[in-house]
Amino acid sequence: MFETVIGLEVHVQLNTKSKIFCSCPTSFAEHQNKNTCPTCLGLPGALPVLNKEAVKKAMSFGYAVNATINKRSIFNRKSYFYPDSPKAYQISQFDIPIVENGELYIETPKHGTKRVGITRAHLEADAGKNIHDGAVSKVDLNRADTPLLEIVSEPDMRSSDEAVEYLKKLHSIVRYLDISDANMQEGSFRCDVNVSIRPKGSEEFGTRVEIKNINSFRFVKQAIEYEVERQIEAWEDGVYEDEVWQETRLFDVNKGITKSMRGKEDSADYRYFPDPDLRPVIVTDDMLEEAKHIPELPDEKVERYVNKLGIKRDDALVITAFKEMAYYFEDMIAGGAKAKTAVTWLTSELLGRLKKAGIDIQNSPIDATTLGKLTMRVDDGTISGKGGKEILDYMMENDARDIDTIIEELGLKQVSDDGAILAIIDEVLSANSDKVEEYKSGKDKLFGFFVGQVMKASKGSANPAKVNQLLKERLS
Amino acid sequence: MHIDEEILKKLEKLSHLRIDESKKEEVIGQLSEILEYVENLKELDTEHLDSFFSTLPGNTPVREDIPSNDPSIPKEILENAPQSEDDFFIVPAIIE
Repeated sequence: MFETVIGLEVHVQLNTKSKIFCSCPTSFAEHQNKNTCPTCLGLPGALPVLNKEAVKKAMSFGYAVNATINKRSIFNRKSYFYPDSPKAYQISQFDIPIVENGELYIETPKHGTKRVGITRAHLEADAGKNIHDGAVSKVDLNRADTPLLEIVSEPDMRSSDEAVEYLKKLHSIVRYLDISDANMQEGSFRCDVNVSIRPKGSEEFGTRVEIKNINSFRFVKQAIEYEVERQIEAWEDGVYEDEVWQETRLFDVNKGITKSMRGKEDSADYRYFPDPDLRPVIVTDDMLEEAKHIPELPDEKVERYVNKLGIKRDDALVITAFKEMAYYFEDMIAGGAKAKTAVTWLTSELLGRLKKAGIDIQNSPIDATTLGKLTMRVDDGTISGKGGKEILDYMMENDARDIDTIIEELGLKQVSDDGAILAIIDEVLSANSDKVEEYKSGKDKLFGFFVGQVMKASKGSANPAKVNQLLKERLS
Repeated sequence: MHIDEEILKKLEKLSHLRIDESKKEEVIGQLSEILEYVENLKELDTEHLDSFFSTLPGNTPVREDIPSNDPSIPKEILENAPQSEDDFFIVPAIIE
């Protein structure tokens, strides 16, 4: 039996307005090389000047994951040749990263809440992009020197599912902090996976293989599962030493396999050394204070929802997984909706309909205040649950949003008036006097029949709770 | 550290430079001399210093996050690039 050991490196593109070492805009999908200048093009004599906001965002992340913020950190040069890196080195933090020794918590089916250590998070500059075009490659350096935060986990994950849970949690934290768009398709949240295996019970790590640049959670899972199988097979066939070595592999999305990037002998030699153009980063107490102002994060929200709002933990986890959903929920509550009703109407009714229509919560055609109002009308008995669903369907198709007007228009107002319901009950009971006799002689099951008849006679407009209560009184 | 053919080969690779066969001996001589010169620095006591020690005081300055750029500058740089087309820098095909 083998154990899988996984560590993750995530490159998060920070959503600053300008690049990390020059003032060029970071706007996405601009005309090629429009957002460039002598500094990010690596021209001789151009000097980097650090973007304060990038530092602040990195520190906010540090606070969010309970990490140590190094008041003094160092930028190094990582040397390599590639056309998308015009300086022929990447500026990155090596000796001392700005953030160290953090942690986050994931939910696992087997072990409940599990801690995953975050070794470090450091600032660095992104590279440009190459477009391969036959005999030449076209280079667009708009992305060069965009700020990245590379977040390195401890090798604490033991399955592909745990790795995905970690990524989802990290993604959610970064989005709550608003330090990155974290859009995997656009490449603002990129993931490298380190995978090794070892016999169960062994303390020693196996040989670690890195799989680079995977751009979806699904591919992360596939790549890990393929790689683990490859390594186990090599072990069982007695060729582990020959076939598994410390290397970088690429995930082939079409074939679902990982492939070696370069030969065994060509391991990279990055020759890290402190960048002489950049003095140490020393953060002031003011900057630290400023970076401490972070919004409420998913873990805290879950605690608050469960303890203060009294909703189920599983529901709280669903709602807080995406900040847009959590904010929607909180807006419903702020508008006066009851937490428990809000949960049901948000997570099953609204989300179900949005999913069918292929719409995200942030683009929901029905806003939180409106849905909140709807749940309040269900709670106060003005409409039935069924009526509420009808209104939701109606709003998905129509622009009307005034709940009370819609209730009137669709004639969904429940009859809660005792007198009106009693009149119907009496009518039903006298029309079914034989069944009333049977009921009174012990056939309790008939109660449901009476409720059904009353509801039918009221054309569904009677408040079922009231009907139940009044029927019981009449029949006793 | 002694510079030999093997190390020179590695340095050629790392620096993306090719040293002509006829010049190898000369370059090895020059590199050895540079290393010897740098050896002198070993006389300094650096026991209590970290690798990123600098004689320059203070921290790196920071700037506010305000975007600005002059699109005429990249235009001019592209015009002076060895090869460019449609505002892309053009380089020999990179095989992935």
